[in-house]
Formats: sequence, structure tokens, C-alpha cells
Amino acid sequence: MAQLALGLAGLGAAFFAGLMVLQRSLYVAAVCLLAVLLQVAVLFFLSGAPLLAFLQVMIYAGAVMVLIVVAIMAAGSSAGERWSRLALPWPVAAAGFLLPFLEIALIVARGGPPSGGLGRTLAVESQVGQVLFESHAVATEAVGLLLFLAGLSLVSGKKRSAG
Amino acid sequence: MIPLSVTLLLAAPAAALLAGFFLLRPWKPQWTHWPILASCAVVAAASLSLAARVYSGWGIDVPLATWMAAGEWSLSFGVRLDGLSASVLAMVSVVGGLIHVYASGYMRGDPGFARFFLVFHLFYLAMIGLLISNNYVQLYLFWELVGLSSYLLIGHCYQRRAARAAALQAFLTNRVGDFGLMLAVLVLLAAFRGGGTRFAILFPILPAGDPDLLALAGLLIFWAACAKSAQFPLYFWLPDAMEGPTPVSALMHAATMVTAGIFLLARSWSLVLAAGHLLQVLAWVGAFTAAGAALIACAKTDLKRILAYSTVSHLGLMAFALGLGQVPAAVFHLITHGFFKAALFLCAGNIAHALGQPTASVSEVGGLWRRMPLTCACFAAAALSLSGIWPFAGFYSKDAILDAALHRGGLAAAAGLSISFLSSFYIFRMLFLAFLGPRPEQRGPRLHEAEAVMAAPVFFLALGALGVGWLAKGLGTLLSSGWPGPALEALPGPSLPVAAAGTALAALGALAAYWLTTALSGWDWEWRRSLPGLEALFESDFGWRRAVASFSALVRGAAAMVGGPWDEGVDRVCEAAAGWAGSLGEAGRRLATGSLSDYLWWMLAGTTVLLATVVR
Amino acid sequence: MTGAIWGITGLLFASGLVMLILRRELLAMLLGLELMINAVNISLVHAAGLFGDPEGLAAVLLIIAVAAAEAVVGLSLILRMHQAGGPLDARVLRELRG
Repeated sequence: MAQLALGLAGLGAAFFAGLMVLQRSLYVAAVCLLAVLLQVAVLFFLSGAPLLAFLQVMIYAGAVMVLIVVAIMAAGSSAGERWSRLALPWPVAAAGFLLPFLEIALIVARGGPPSGGLGRTLAVESQVGQVLFESHAVATEAVGLLLFLAGLSLVSGKKRSAG
Repeated sequence: MIPLSVTLLLAAPAAALLAGFFLLRPWKPQWTHWPILASCAVVAAASLSLAARVYSGWGIDVPLATWMAAGEWSLSFGVRLDGLSASVLAMVSVVGGLIHVYASGYMRGDPGFARFFLVFHLFYLAMIGLLISNNYVQLYLFWELVGLSSYLLIGHCYQRRAARAAALQAFLTNRVGDFGLMLAVLVLLAAFRGGGTRFAILFPILPAGDPDLLALAGLLIFWAACAKSAQFPLYFWLPDAMEGPTPVSALMHAATMVTAGIFLLARSWSLVLAAGHLLQVLAWVGAFTAAGAALIACAKTDLKRILAYSTVSHLGLMAFALGLGQVPAAVFHLITHGFFKAALFLCAGNIAHALGQPTASVSEVGGLWRRMPLTCACFAAAALSLSGIWPFAGFYSKDAILDAALHRGGLAAAAGLSISFLSSFYIFRMLFLAFLGPRPEQRGPRLHEAEAVMAAPVFFLALGALGVGWLAKGLGTLLSSGWPGPALEALPGPSLPVAAAGTALAALGALAAYWLTTALSGWDWEWRRSLPGLEALFESDFGWRRAVASFSALVRGAAAMVGGPWDEGVDRVCEAAAGWAGSLGEAGRRLATGSLSDYLWWMLAGTTVLLATVVR
Repeated sequence: MTGAIWGITGLLFASGLVMLILRRELLAMLLGLELMINAVNISLVHAAGLFGDPEGLAAVLLIIAVAAAEAVVGLSLILRMHQAGGPLDARVLRELRG
């Protein structure tokens, strides 16, 4: 069953990536990317890292992509380009968002991510905390600082343009 | 230890020069010649007394001062007086003194009188120094000094462009030869370290040297002699050097300077003998020069130039004699030639001086015997001496050479006989055309006999041309005194068949000259008109002058190519390099388009290459 | 399974690269960039699972965080460009022209 899930996720990711590349409209491309990110989360799950899959959906697909979509809406396209000819028909979009859940349901129903050899147990993931905050604490702190500075630049930039 | 005469040989001219330059030239330039004439007399007396001493077996070879020394190498100054130097020295001093006297009359009124005499005497000093040198380096120094004074004297009337050009040509051509002498000295220094240049030390150890180096040194010395003594490839400066005043032509380019080359070869006789086939080369070149120059002299019209080509021919004859191995004959001819050639030149100078010109052409003179009897008589005597008619001096010396040539047989004999004929022909042609010509009318009322101060030296020189020949035996003995190397053969006395052959040919030449100038009057001018091509051939010395001109044009072109465009070439290369750097920059600049997609492409390409190298 | 994962990774990366290089709009280039980052993430997670190395997972977490920051900065720049006027086109950015 893992194979089936893998195949579905792979195919989905490939399909939506191809769609994205061939798209003229930025909106549609962003939506396709969102679908790809969800498939990627499934792939994370398949590789034995459910936490990361969760985080991927939450942060990447949830925050970053929304940010990008908002930016596209604000500045992305010229007037005539909002809807392109190759616009996504709504079934496809729906499938794109529903598919990951289906796959995850499939995997869980059949006993979780494959173990032994490939896709190890949660034991690997449980050590992530230790790696992040003990061995490589400096790296984690640096990334945190980076995030802070990014937010700061955003605010200050806005302030300057406003003033 | 060094006798007073030897010291006087150099001290007297040096003192005269210093007195003349510092005292008289600024104060009373027209008296410059007095101390100089006095020094000439002193030197002549000293050299004659030294010749007498050397004749009785005395000789010296002493170093005077060391110039520089390092380890086993050393260069020194010294004096060597043996038979060879004493005999040539006697001739040079006597003839030189007489010509100095002549010049004091000839150059009177010339604005450069003082300068002339000082340089003239400088030459005299240099020639004496050359003759009594005891090593090659000192000889080279005096050799160069002689060349320098030749340049200064030929260009004495420097306002004339022809004189300047001739002086430069003489100097540069001699320079080409001097380079050979310098290389020879260096080769000898390299081959024989310690005693490399001193004659007394070098000649005994010569056979132990590397034969290739010896051959090279011999050839280079021969080359130097070719330039100085006007042998075939490098003779062309001598006829053009007639631009100088007549005393200069007489002393330097007839009697003394041009014989320096023959003297050098005689001095280096041990080296010449040890240097492979140099003797054959010498004989060939000498014979060729003698015959060719005699032929050209037959067709010249300018008095001094006839005599110049005659000098070249006689120098060739001396070289020919050396090539046949007859050193005493060559030196004897050197001495007799000095006397009669100087007499001939001074006669020509008398004519020119009477005409008020630097030189005269045969078309301007004729039948001068009536107005200038003394000059005519002296000229005739010298002409007879030149042709080798008994009992004049030339007979004895030419006879010796002819004897050796006939002994050798074949081409050498033919060359000797033809030279006898031709030399007689051209000198009698000159005699008939100038003095005994069919044109009694002359130009100008000033044509008169020369004054005493100019006539007397000519007279004495003609006497010398007459009488020096009787010293043949004495010369043989003199030369053997102090001769390094194998003993010299004695000068052959006159043998009847050789004398008969020589005299017959000379008479034939005189008759031919008489026929073509007096009997067929006007022939001398007519053939020029009817055969202009032939005259052009003679004018250009059978094309050799043109060859030399094209060679020097080639060298000039190469020099211009190196000097001028080479600079531009270097500039162009530098600018081209800068240009390449610039175009490289421009090409690189095209990479920086400022376009994001282009940069991304390049990043992709670079990353691919890196990955490819890593993954492999 | 590993081969399939790698195939997917390669495909996604190539697609992102194509988007990045061939599209002129800056936002499209940003989307391609995000795609590339995700492809790499997949590969890293799978490798972490293969070798049992938690550091891979930690790296992926940090990469997600950094990608978020990068998206923020990039978007703010793009919005500034939009405010300055002119098209949001890569051809406009010619300041680096040599």
C-alpha cells in the first residue's frame, strides 16, 4: 500500500508541478504550487517523518504560500492576466486539495509509514529536538535571528515608504 | 739601456706636436711647421743611425710599461727594433721628412695650415709607433691612430662634400678591417694566454697552438691588411681618398699608411706560415688586385687617380710577393715603391698647384715638359723606376718578385708578366699625356715650375727612386737581423732571363703607350666617346663599386629596419597587448548583461560543471 | 522506493529551475525557487530516513524556516519595486550591467 501511496503522491506532485510551469497566470501557478507542497508533505509522511509533514503543511503551505498568494494578488499581474486560458477547472483544484488527505488516510489505514530499511520509525524523529537544540543550537539560534531580521526589514521598509 | 735614438723616435714628434698645438697654433699658426720639420729631421737621423746599428746585428725588444695585468694575462707597451722595423722605419722617416718639407710649400696660404701640419705629424708619430711596436695590442692602437689621422687628413678641406664623404668612406672601410685585427688579437689572446700578443713570446710558441684558431687569426689579420693596404674586396676607399691634399696622398696613401698592412703581414710572418692555406689566398688576392687595378688605371683621366690605382696595383704586387713566400722581395718593393710613388704624387701635386686646383685631369694638361722641366725629369725617373727599367730601383724589386713568379710558373707567371706590361703602359701613358703630349697649349699663365721648397723634395725622392735599388743586398742582411722564425731566403740577384723578360714587357708597355697617345693622338678620348659602356665599366671598377654600394644600402636598410620600425614595432606590440587586454575585458563585459535570466543560466551551467566533476 | 523518491525530487527540481530561468516575472521566479527548495527537502528527509540520521530532519526544519524568511524578504523587495512603478520584470533590473 505504501507503494500505491507513493505513486499517487509522486504523480500528483509531478502533475501539479508541470501544470505550474506551463501556466501563464500567476494565480493559478500559486495554487498549483500549493498542491505540490501538500504532496510533498505526504512524501515526508511516507519517509517516516510525520512531524515534518505536519510542519510543512502548517508553515510552508499554510504561511509562506499564503504570503505569496497575497503578494501576487497585490502586485502580481497586469489587468488582463488574471484568468488565463489554461485556468484550472474546479474539479482539478478540488482534487488537488483533497488528494493528500486521501493518501494519508490510505497510509494510516494500512499501518502507517513503512518501517525497516526505508522510512524508519519515529525513533529518528524523536531525536530531532536533541539535534536542533543541543548539538546545533547555534544554527537554530541563527535561523531564529534571521527570521527576526526579515520581519524587521519588512516593518522598517514599510515604514520608510510610508514616511 | 734604451738608446737615445729610440727614445727620440717617439719623443721628438711628440714634443713637436705639443709645441705646435699649445704654443704655435694659437699664437703664430704659420710657424707651426718649424718644430715639426725639426722633429722630422731628428727622426730621420735617428732612424738611419738605428738602421746602421741593426745592420750590424744589434736589436732590442723591451717592454716599457705594463698597461694592465691580471693573473697570466697582461698587456704592455714596449719597443721592438729588428731588421724589418728598422728598414721600413728608415724609408718612412726619410720619405716622410721630405714630404713634410714639400707640404710646407704646398699648403702655404691654406687656412687650415696649422691643423694640417699637426694632424700630418700625428700621423707620422702614429706610423713610427706602429713600426716599433712589440706587441699586437700596441700595434692595434697605433693602427687605429693611423686610420684616424687618415680620416682627418682626407677630410682636411671639410667644406667640400666630396672630401667629407671620401674621408668617412675611408674611415669606415678601414674600420671594417680593423675589426678583423681586433678579433685576431682576441683570438690570439684566447689561444695563447700569457704571451698572447708580444711578438717575441708569441712566435716561438705558435706551432703549439690549435691550428683552427691559428688559421682564423691569420685570416683575420689578412682581412685587416686587405682594408689598410687596399686589396681586392676593400680597396675602393683608396682612389676616393685622393680628395685629400697631395702631400696627404703622397705620404699616406702611397708610401706609408697603406704599407702598414703589408708590414703587419710581414711582422706576423710566423703566424701567416702557420695559418693553413693563407699564403695561397694571399697570392691570389694580391695577383688579382694588382692586375685589376693596373687595368683600371689605364683608363683613368684624373692624374691622382691614375696614381691611386697604381698604388693599389703595387700593393697587390707586394701581397702577391708575400703569397709566393718572398718576404724580402715584398719588403724591398715596399721601400722602393715608397720612393718612386711619392715622387710621382709630388709631381702631380706640382702640376695641380701650378694650375691652382686640388688635382688635374689629363685633358687639362699636355706638353708640360717645356714649362716644368724639373718636374718632368723627376716624373720620368720615377716612371722608369715604376716600370722596372734598369738601373732604377724599381727594377731590382720588381725583378725579385717576377723571379719568384716565373719560378712558380703557370698562372702566377702570367700574372707577373701582365702586371709588368700594364704598369708600364699606364705610367707611360700618363707621362706622355701630361708632359710630352701633342698639345702644347696649356691653360692659364700660371703654369710654371714649382718653387724650390716644393721642387727639392721631388728631386731627392727621384734620386731615391733611382738609387735605393742598389741597397738590395744590404736590405737582405738587414731583414735577417732579428727575424723571428725560419731564416729568410736571400734576395735573388738579377738574373738575365728574368731581367730580359721584365724589361722587354716594360718596353712593350711604353711603346704601346706612345703609340696610343702620341702617334694616334686623340685615341684616348675617342674610345670613350665611341664605347661609353666600356668607360662606364671602368668607372665602376668592373661593377665592384656598384656591388659595394648595394651592400652598404642593404646594411643601411637593415639598420633602418632595426632602428626605426623596430621601435614602432615594439610600441605596436605593447599597444597590441594592451588592446588584447582591453578586448578580453570587453568580451568579459558582455557577460555582465545585468539581466537576471542570463546570470541564472550561467549559474546553472557552472553548477552543472561542478556537479559533473564532483560526482565523477 | 528510493529510486522513485529521487525521480520525483529530480523532476520537481528541474521544474523549479525551468520556472526560475525561463520566466520573466519576478513572482514566477520566486515560485520556481520555492519548488526547488521543496524538492531538496524531500531528498533530505528521505536520506535522513535511509541512514537513520536525525540531523537531516533538523536540517529540513531549518531550511523550511529559512525559506520562509527568504520568501518574506523577496516579497517585500518585489512589493517595493511595485510601489516604485514599472513592470515587475527581470529585464528592468539592469543595474548590474557592466
